[in-house]
Amino acid sequence: MIQITDLEKFYKTEEVQTIALNKLSFNVKEGEFVAIMGPSGCGKSTLLNILGLLDDPDGGSFMFNGTEVAGYNERKRSELRKHNIGFVFQSFNLIDELTVFENVELPLIYTGVKPAERKKQVEAVLEKMQIMHRRNHFPQQLSGGQQQRVAVARAVVNNPKLILADEPTGNLDSTNGNEVMDLLIDLNEAGTTIIMVTHSEHDAKYSHRIIRMLDGQKVTENILA
Amino acid sequence: MIKNYFKIAWRNLMKHKVFSLINIIGLTIGLSASFVIGLMVYYDATFDDFHKDGDRIYRVVTDLISPEDTFSISGVTLALEDEIKDDSNFETVGSFYIERPSKVENRELGSQFKWPNFVIFTDANYFKIFNYTFLAGDETNILSHPNSVILTENRAADYFPNTVPSDIIGKTLVYNDSLNVTVTGIVENFKERTDFVFEEFIAKPLLLQTRLRENFLNLNWNNTNDASQLFVKVASNADVSAIQNRLDNLAAAHQDEDSKKYGDEQKFGLQPLSDIHFNEKYGIYDWTKGQANKSLLTNLALVAVFLLLLGCINFINLNTAQASQRAKEIGIRKTLGSSRKQLISQFMGETFLLVLISALLSVLLSKWLINVFSDFVPDGLNFELFKSPLIVVSAIVLLIIVTFLSGFYPALILSKFNTVSVLKNHLAVGDKKVKLRKFLTIFQFTIAQIFIIATLLVGKQINFLLTTDMGFKTDAIISVYSPRGEREVSKKELYAEKLRAIPEIKEISIGGTPPASISTNSTSLSYNNGEKEVNTDLQFIFGDINYSKVFELDILAGRSIRNDTVKELVINETCRKKLGFKSPEEAVGKIVLLGGENVPIVGVMADFFQRSLKSNIKPMAFRGDWNRPDWSQFQGLHLALQNESSEGLKTTLSKIENAYKSVYTEIDDYRVEFLDESIQNFYNRERKMSKLLNWATGLSILISCLGLLGLVIYTTNRRVKEIGVRKVLGASLFQINTILCKEFLILVAIAFVIAAPIAWYGINNWLQDFAYKTSIGFWVFLVSGLAMIFFALIVISVKTLQAANANPVDSLRSE
Repeated sequence: MIQITDLEKFYKTEEVQTIALNKLSFNVKEGEFVAIMGPSGCGKSTLLNILGLLDDPDGGSFMFNGTEVAGYNERKRSELRKHNIGFVFQSFNLIDELTVFENVELPLIYTGVKPAERKKQVEAVLEKMQIMHRRNHFPQQLSGGQQQRVAVARAVVNNPKLILADEPTGNLDSTNGNEVMDLLIDLNEAGTTIIMVTHSEHDAKYSHRIIRMLDGQKVTENILA
Repeated sequence: MIKNYFKIAWRNLMKHKVFSLINIIGLTIGLSASFVIGLMVYYDATFDDFHKDGDRIYRVVTDLISPEDTFSISGVTLALEDEIKDDSNFETVGSFYIERPSKVENRELGSQFKWPNFVIFTDANYFKIFNYTFLAGDETNILSHPNSVILTENRAADYFPNTVPSDIIGKTLVYNDSLNVTVTGIVENFKERTDFVFEEFIAKPLLLQTRLRENFLNLNWNNTNDASQLFVKVASNADVSAIQNRLDNLAAAHQDEDSKKYGDEQKFGLQPLSDIHFNEKYGIYDWTKGQANKSLLTNLALVAVFLLLLGCINFINLNTAQASQRAKEIGIRKTLGSSRKQLISQFMGETFLLVLISALLSVLLSKWLINVFSDFVPDGLNFELFKSPLIVVSAIVLLIIVTFLSGFYPALILSKFNTVSVLKNHLAVGDKKVKLRKFLTIFQFTIAQIFIIATLLVGKQINFLLTTDMGFKTDAIISVYSPRGEREVSKKELYAEKLRAIPEIKEISIGGTPPASISTNSTSLSYNNGEKEVNTDLQFIFGDINYSKVFELDILAGRSIRNDTVKELVINETCRKKLGFKSPEEAVGKIVLLGGENVPIVGVMADFFQRSLKSNIKPMAFRGDWNRPDWSQFQGLHLALQNESSEGLKTTLSKIENAYKSVYTEIDDYRVEFLDESIQNFYNRERKMSKLLNWATGLSILISCLGLLGLVIYTTNRRVKEIGVRKVLGASLFQINTILCKEFLILVAIAFVIAAPIAWYGINNWLQDFAYKTSIGFWVFLVSGLAMIFFALIVISVKTLQAANANPVDSLRSE
């Protein structure tokens, strides 16, 4: 599904150039659950942004489902992203002005799903995430665990092929964290490919494969299952 | 999706109530001004736009051009019509003569009407050019009978109350006591807006039975009068420049010897129908309605545009300043697949919602504004006009333009945010955006500052106009005019006799107009000093031997007139200089040639203002009424009153009116004027402009200060931590306030530097209209600059003092 080869990303300020990704290469197969680990500043988030088509690499190749997407413009990236990729963030990133229902509904609006169908799909996913009773609440009225469940619901409502999770349990206590990890496992077992950045060895163990990074390069790769 | 946009727009609006309020107030004021002024422009621009082939209808007008001046008359010589009526360039040539009958009687009912207005003498061609709807009467033989009249339904209702139009046909009205005229038609009054206010159309031949008989029998190319109106409807293939050539040739061919000698010429022009409502040079038929004034409308439109711009600027400033607060939402939306176009539409939708709310409020506010600006707003203007499709479409277009002006730049900025950065909270406030905000704030304050300076200077000039000594006595003087058409001097003398019994009246004079008035009477004068002949136009004021006492005219040499029927002149200083006399004394005793007669100068009076201070003092002479046997120039009595309380004045006035009633029977035509009020009326337009400026100033300060308040609230909130640290380190309240205010006051100061020369240039231009003007004082600029800084400081301090007073522990803990 994903093949990256010699991927490079630099950040430049007026005086200093920082290398965020240094000729990084690896593949992810469809249905895989991959955890990416490494110390702060090793390039994990940069990698996730590029994989999520939120950012452009400065060099190398990025094949998504057999197509080179490294040179895509914003419009094409947006198009590909909204149909194929779901995001889960450490800080949930729900829109404060929208209710739970409306937040989950957003990706469907952008993919042009009709209102009646949207309602059905949103309600189904809220049921599944056991957050239906909070559908009319605003994010600030929910606990952290509930907010992350909403965020996961939003990430999967479109049935994306790939979910990118950036430290999904980072802001949660262990009980809520485990619940979220269980949700991700369920999704993966249903066929969704998951790439997760994490600091937590405990969470990483849920994955099939752990890629460890340092200074923008892959250091080791452990296959768990 | 649109529902979603509006939902989030509404929630955002409610979340940031202060900012929303600031935006709505600014836009509402701008939109209200635009609505009202737009309605006014529409109202005036649609006068007489309903006549069939209106673009082919012209009024023929006259300009009398002399080496000194050009005098414009809406009428033409009576001789012109016959010369052009067969020209194939014209489809129809129609004329009419405006003349108020002294009396109209319906003897059947025993009712009489004095001096009915809007009566014209005309023929069938008038009705070919202007399409009236006939309610009764023969449409094919319009005014073919010499003693016939057509009435509008309104006039018919006055003369023949409760009678249906068809029953009025054939009835007789008696004009001026002896002319029997039959009603042959009743027409509908024009329903649309029109300057053609005529109510009574009498067959032209009847003019020969009035005082104007001679004028019509002996057509004179050099006698032109506003009452004699000529309209043409040009053929659809007409060559307008050929018509103009023909008119020029006719004018040149009929120039008389005197005109050639003095370099005077007359020029005929074609005034398009659509120009009549706007061109004050030639005027309209009902002066009380007031004509549209293009420059006033332009100024009003500019005020509306500026107010609207100020509102838009507030929106841009506040929204770009707040942008970072919305960054997260934008990042999430982009991540979930929103395109930039979708984001821009979302923000434009939000802007439109705000503009729409403002527009709804504006409609309410406009009603109130129409009252406030009643001086400018014509009587017929009301909200019914809002039903016009053109107005509705224009209003929608305006809302879209305002939405774009306000919303597009913020939408562009917001949608451009880098998704990765905003989700990481790494949002840098662009230097460019801050610069733009500063630039826009400076722009706002520049406009407000220009308005302040202009208000002060216009006020100063008006004060100068109203307080400058006119050169004669103006207070406690009233003029009582004789009934219209009444020229008998003996009755005036009888009235004066009765008034002498009232002790509150100091002096009484019978005369023409006061020394300063809007009407002029002039003739050319020549003087030969033995070496060369000097020619000049000479204006007159007419009066008896008391006239100079009532108005306290200052006689510099010689004496005033001794008798009001003896030919002698008291000239003013300007005339004395023009004729080449070195001193007033030298002029006394000299003989000048006036209309072919020798007349001696018996005195020289000091100059005074004959009109408003807009015009230069012209050569003038005070004279008696020596043409009295033919035509008396005396129109009424001027009374100098003792100074007394307003209660006493009331009693005196009623005594004066009672005396009038004992002399004259035409008591409805009692006209009294206070000289100081008449002089104030010279400056009506300036006073209107001043009122307009006061409002524009107030509103522009309000909008700009609100915008500033918004920016201050935003900036101060961002600097809460800095304020906390400074306080902990020992900064005083004053020091912190100074730091916070400085940033904004610099902008206001820059605005002043830009505004001052622009305001100076504008006001200097405006002052060119006046022959006599106030100085543009340095202090005005100083005061207005300080005033602006004062307003800004108050607004800024409201927030900064609150921030500076806050407990630093709170702000530091939240970090």
